[in-house]
Amino acid sequence: MSISKTYKLPFIVLVLVLFVCFVININLGSVYIPLKDVFNSLIGSDTNVEAWQHIINNYRLPKAITAILVGSGLGISGLLMQTLFRNPLAGPFVLGISSGASLGVALIILGSGLFGGLFASFFVSKWSIVIAASLGSFLVLLAVLTVSIKVRDTMAILIIGLMFASITAAIVSVLSYFGSAEQLQQYIFWGFGSLGNLSWNELFIFAVIFCFGIVLSIVSIKSLNTLLLGENYAISLGLNIKKSRLIIIAATSLLAGTITAFAGPIAFIGLAIPHITRQVFNTSNHKILLPAVFLFGAIVMLICDSIAQLPHSDYTLPINAITSIIGAPVVIWLLVRKQKMVF
Amino acid sequence: MKKIVLILLSVVLLSCKNEASKTVLNSKASTQLDLKYAQGFKVSDFNTFKVLEIINPWPKAKKSYRYVLISKENAAKTTFNKSEYDGIITNPIESLVVTSTTHLPALELLGVTHTLTGFPGTHFISSKKIRTRVDRGSLRELGKNESINTEVLLELNPDAVIGFGIDGNNKTFETIKNSGIPVIYNGDWVENSPLAKAEWIKFFGALYNKEKQADSIFKTIENNYIEAKKLAQAAKNKPTILSGAMHSDIWYLPNGTSTEAQFLKDANTNYLWKDSTGSGSLKLNFEAVYTKAKSADIWLNPSNYISLEALKNASTHHTKFNAYKNKTIYTVANTTGETGGVLYYELGFARPDLVLKDIIKIAHPQLLKDHELFFFKPLK
Repeated sequence: MSISKTYKLPFIVLVLVLFVCFVININLGSVYIPLKDVFNSLIGSDTNVEAWQHIINNYRLPKAITAILVGSGLGISGLLMQTLFRNPLAGPFVLGISSGASLGVALIILGSGLFGGLFASFFVSKWSIVIAASLGSFLVLLAVLTVSIKVRDTMAILIIGLMFASITAAIVSVLSYFGSAEQLQQYIFWGFGSLGNLSWNELFIFAVIFCFGIVLSIVSIKSLNTLLLGENYAISLGLNIKKSRLIIIAATSLLAGTITAFAGPIAFIGLAIPHITRQVFNTSNHKILLPAVFLFGAIVMLICDSIAQLPHSDYTLPINAITSIIGAPVVIWLLVRKQKMVF
Repeated sequence: MKKIVLILLSVVLLSCKNEASKTVLNSKASTQLDLKYAQGFKVSDFNTFKVLEIINPWPKAKKSYRYVLISKENAAKTTFNKSEYDGIITNPIESLVVTSTTHLPALELLGVTHTLTGFPGTHFISSKKIRTRVDRGSLRELGKNESINTEVLLELNPDAVIGFGIDGNNKTFETIKNSGIPVIYNGDWVENSPLAKAEWIKFFGALYNKEKQADSIFKTIENNYIEAKKLAQAAKNKPTILSGAMHSDIWYLPNGTSTEAQFLKDANTNYLWKDSTGSGSLKLNFEAVYTKAKSADIWLNPSNYISLEALKNASTHHTKFNAYKNKTIYTVANTTGETGGVLYYELGFARPDLVLKDIIKIAHPQLLKDHELFFFKPLK
């Protein structure tokens, strides 16, 4: 109880910052829309220009919500992986989750030639890409889980995850080699990541799966804290390691899998947000870390998206590049300043 | 003994000199091939041989490439300083490898498809005449464009390979050159007007000694184009045009100085981004495109989406444009050859007159009543 009291102020500040970032994100875009019209559009009354209403309600608002889900979800799955493997380099992508998703998407886009004309055009729709990405990450995860039942060592699982990533990357290379220019283009575009391409329906499904992942992570808080003490110690405290591991991996896969499916592979956030949070909050208690990572992830993603949109210019940058360009120096700066890693 | 050596040496030296005197290199060009639009190549006729110069094989090329075109008989009589040229080619060419489908129409128009012996990615070829050569097995598959199967190519041993490059760093072409097969870079795609691209038929004309034929084919295309353009200028209304489509978050569309934009201008339409400049295509944000083009009359070339459904699946934002609601979207992606190659990508460069007529027909249906859409089809 006393712990949460200490952190009350930072949490209030973070929530306020998140709200401000959310409003700024919706207000800023390629097209200049006065704040008054933004609010008018949000409450459903008419705007000065007809097109603005569609931009606010169906482009910027879902994009901002997607940014929050993507940032917080990736941050949390990064935190779960780092604690589970007790490795500061772990992230949602390390277990091969993102590679699995990439493989699924590559099979659908680049391998469509193998299926033939009509069949292929039916399959290369947005939903097929979402399903393929989820299936891909799920299957890779299933393979890792099967191995993890036999192998007790988490480091071994980490390496097996990396090996799976290598295998999938190799298959993607082979598929790319045989893919046509258009297919390669489509696959590369997917790789840029995209927040602004979800309709409300898609966003709803995304949010439902996302909530499942969050619930599973909240359930794992206790075991995560115990795991920090080391696996053997955790066992001696009566923790069912296999079950906890399964829940944590399932939560990560749900979060990172759907995010990659809907928004493409977004780099850096999953790895760095937990580190930024630990540096700022200086704690390893997951009761604090989990909500803090959620807020930090959402805020950073909203800021990255606002930058990627290059406000008031007609141009836009791929979100995947911005997250790393903006984010990595922040982590370096934090580490240099504190001179040690909180882990 | 020394004397004998000296005599022998002088004989050798003299004979070398004799060889050199066989050269009929003449610094004065008797005629220069007449080119009206194309700026990427030159052909100088020296009577017994021609010099083909590729000036701009890729954007911002630093050097030009020079090739000697010479008949077999004259080649036997002449020696050239090899270091001065990037290749010596005997013409008319009897065996040729081209590397882009855009090179194929010229061969067909000149009636020399029988000399084509290899192509990378034969399944992209739509030309019926050339497809029969593929089916008969007289046209070898060379693998992928970026990494041509060098072994098969060396076995074919063509008189020349017509390549193209985005810069001069193509290792495969270097290997081919080193094995003695000349590689000529085709820079038709760098030209900045539709007619200049089409004029590259004269480049192929020079390779086959069919300059006159190439000239008359081009004249017909040019006349058709200019006539169609004149006709379009008479139209009073100027429909607004949107182009391209969204991939991820980015809308790709041709910039105002591109050949696509020039077609739209010549067809007397109002392309909404006609004032933009720059190389490559524009990469815009959805918001910017939506506010400007929401009520555009016509949407041309929605990237490679082949149906309204596919366009909607890619992004629901596509459906918010008036052109989507009114179904005034036209694509070239559905006009394909037997094996699925998009015809526009093969024939579009060579037949700008047909492209222009299509756009005029779409923008001003009252004009060109007899013309049937060739490349463009309404998106369904």
